[in-house]
Amino acid sequence: MLVSYATLGYPNREDYLRLVKGLVEAGSDILEIGLLPKYAKYDGPVIRRSYKQVSTWLTDFWSLLEETRRAVDVPLVILTYLEDWVSSLSQVLAKMKEVGIDGVLFPDLLIDFVDEYEKYVNEIKSHGLSAVIFTSPSVPDPLIHKVSRLSDMFLYYGVRPTTGVPLPVSVDSLITRVRTLVNNKLVVGFGLSDIEDMKKALKAGADGVAIGTVYIEEIERNGVESAISLARKFRGILDGA
Amino acid sequence: MANSEEIIPSYWYNIIPDLPKPLPPPRDPPDAEFSRIDLLRKIMPSEVLRQQFTVERFVSIPREVREAYINIGRPTPLVRAKRLEEFLNTPAKIYFKYEGATPTGSHKINTALPQAYFSMKEGVDHLVTETGAGQWGTAVALSARMYGLNSTIFMVKVSYEQKPQRRTIMQLYGAQVFASPTSHTEYGKKVLNENPNHPGSLGIAMSEAIEYALSNGYKYLVGSVLDVVVLHQSVIGLEAMKQLQELDEEPDVLVGCVGGGSNFGGFAFPFIGSKKGSKYIAVGSYEIPKFSKGAYNYDFPDSAGLLPLVKMITLGRDYVPPPIYSGGLRYHGAAPSLSMLIKEGIVDWREYNEKEIFEAAQIFLQTQGIVPAPESSHAIRAVIEEAREAKIKNEKKVIVFNLSGHGLLDLPNYESMMKRIG
Repeated sequence: MLVSYATLGYPNREDYLRLVKGLVEAGSDILEIGLLPKYAKYDGPVIRRSYKQVSTWLTDFWSLLEETRRAVDVPLVILTYLEDWVSSLSQVLAKMKEVGIDGVLFPDLLIDFVDEYEKYVNEIKSHGLSAVIFTSPSVPDPLIHKVSRLSDMFLYYGVRPTTGVPLPVSVDSLITRVRTLVNNKLVVGFGLSDIEDMKKALKAGADGVAIGTVYIEEIERNGVESAISLARKFRGILDGA
Repeated sequence: MANSEEIIPSYWYNIIPDLPKPLPPPRDPPDAEFSRIDLLRKIMPSEVLRQQFTVERFVSIPREVREAYINIGRPTPLVRAKRLEEFLNTPAKIYFKYEGATPTGSHKINTALPQAYFSMKEGVDHLVTETGAGQWGTAVALSARMYGLNSTIFMVKVSYEQKPQRRTIMQLYGAQVFASPTSHTEYGKKVLNENPNHPGSLGIAMSEAIEYALSNGYKYLVGSVLDVVVLHQSVIGLEAMKQLQELDEEPDVLVGCVGGGSNFGGFAFPFIGSKKGSKYIAVGSYEIPKFSKGAYNYDFPDSAGLLPLVKMITLGRDYVPPPIYSGGLRYHGAAPSLSMLIKEGIVDWREYNEKEIFEAAQIFLQTQGIVPAPESSHAIRAVIEEAREAKIKNEKKVIVFNLSGHGLLDLPNYESMMKRIG
């Protein structure tokens, strides 16, 4: 399973729409779309740069989400901080459903809202949306086991403590370990930019990979088309080519 | 009886997978002009960094590090404080793990050694760190030497001048010791420009050490607070667990003092993780009231603000600790894992003032003979109170504490306390 991430509106409206279409044509099974947060507290420097650029022009993100929906036919999962929506959650989820979004992932759910995570998961599901749960190595084993059954589509497991900083981690031992706890599809993300890491993750039992930071870096260097070629390459690895 | 080398564990224990809740991850501040998480990658040895973020419950101790532990006299003794029990006339049994028995006189060497070893394996030839009172700098200086590496220690200028013995030990070990602020870094130059007689601070020394490591391609070693340091310190608790087993004792109460939390965590976490003991007491200083007055917030672990934000109990990084005798407790926060365990009610806390700990130190040294570090005397005070409570309730409980260091280099502090408190 290839889950590709794009920051909504990055690098600009036209290129963003070219990117999401291209990522799907290249074989992405699911698109994860990041909404500009007030404080990207659990994102790394690369994703933060993309938010910063988007913050200079994007005001009406709903219309761009609608355009995204019209542009592609794979499931769309919105990545957004729960912190930004706590007071208006019900309206926001209803609106997401209305524009055709399929699922929601809150990166801060099990960190800042861990005492009430079930309530929020139920709220997402009650709007007919999928709740995709984000976990990481700092989530205790019993909790990973518990939420893996609640998570829709797949369980997201980020192997690095923050996006886009290539901190040294033992990808294979992390995945081997978490695989035994998860009764669900397991998608591994956060800095799996390197092909070797990706192969190790798959070999250790991951069902898929989530790619984000590396696309943004590629766009910064060589533009959208080049990022799309990367997606094609990742698809090839997943298909064993 | 197991032979003494078998007491030393083959694995360090990591409490992260056994915490009641996810440990909030380190993060960069909003609108950060640079990524502090990325900075870690540049300054820390990569194996140390990998261990900082590991999820494995047990991390293998390399054979060479285990040999180095043996070489510095590990396992440290677990001693029954029989005379103290008699003095207190308590039915409780009291044991202490004596980390003062290491060559550098405190537990700090337990993490300096593996960090130096991993640096050497990665081809680094020069280590840099900062030190306040000198315990950490001493541990790094010796560890570097043991692996044939050079070391540079930025020692807070006021300590450099007032604690010449510590400086001398580091120099004997072969370290280059600078009185910070120095003119060896841009940051130090800036500080000296503003005030040529600046007394220095731990924050300034740390900024200088990090800058010096970065600009010369050296590695920087971290002495407390971070998870990897607590991981390495778990050698204390793992040894103590085996030593208690040998004696057929089941501990009830585990006690340790808290500066940044690595000696307490290293000692108590293996017990907490294996559900041995029913009460865990972290002891801080009344003069630095982080437990009673601190907030549980994201804050910088260092006063310079160069490391990533972590969620911890903190008085705020701008908090200036009063100039108390226990240099090792003059810190604004507590390790994230320990902070969470306190917030969740799994670990209790106490805070004692200078008078209370001075009395405790006197009782201990007059009954057991060891001059405890003023920091460790905080733990002793809590132990005495637990033992007295056991007497009132006539409970035969087993109290175990970590005597994190000796106080033989703190005699001027004790002298000052004698004059003031008597």
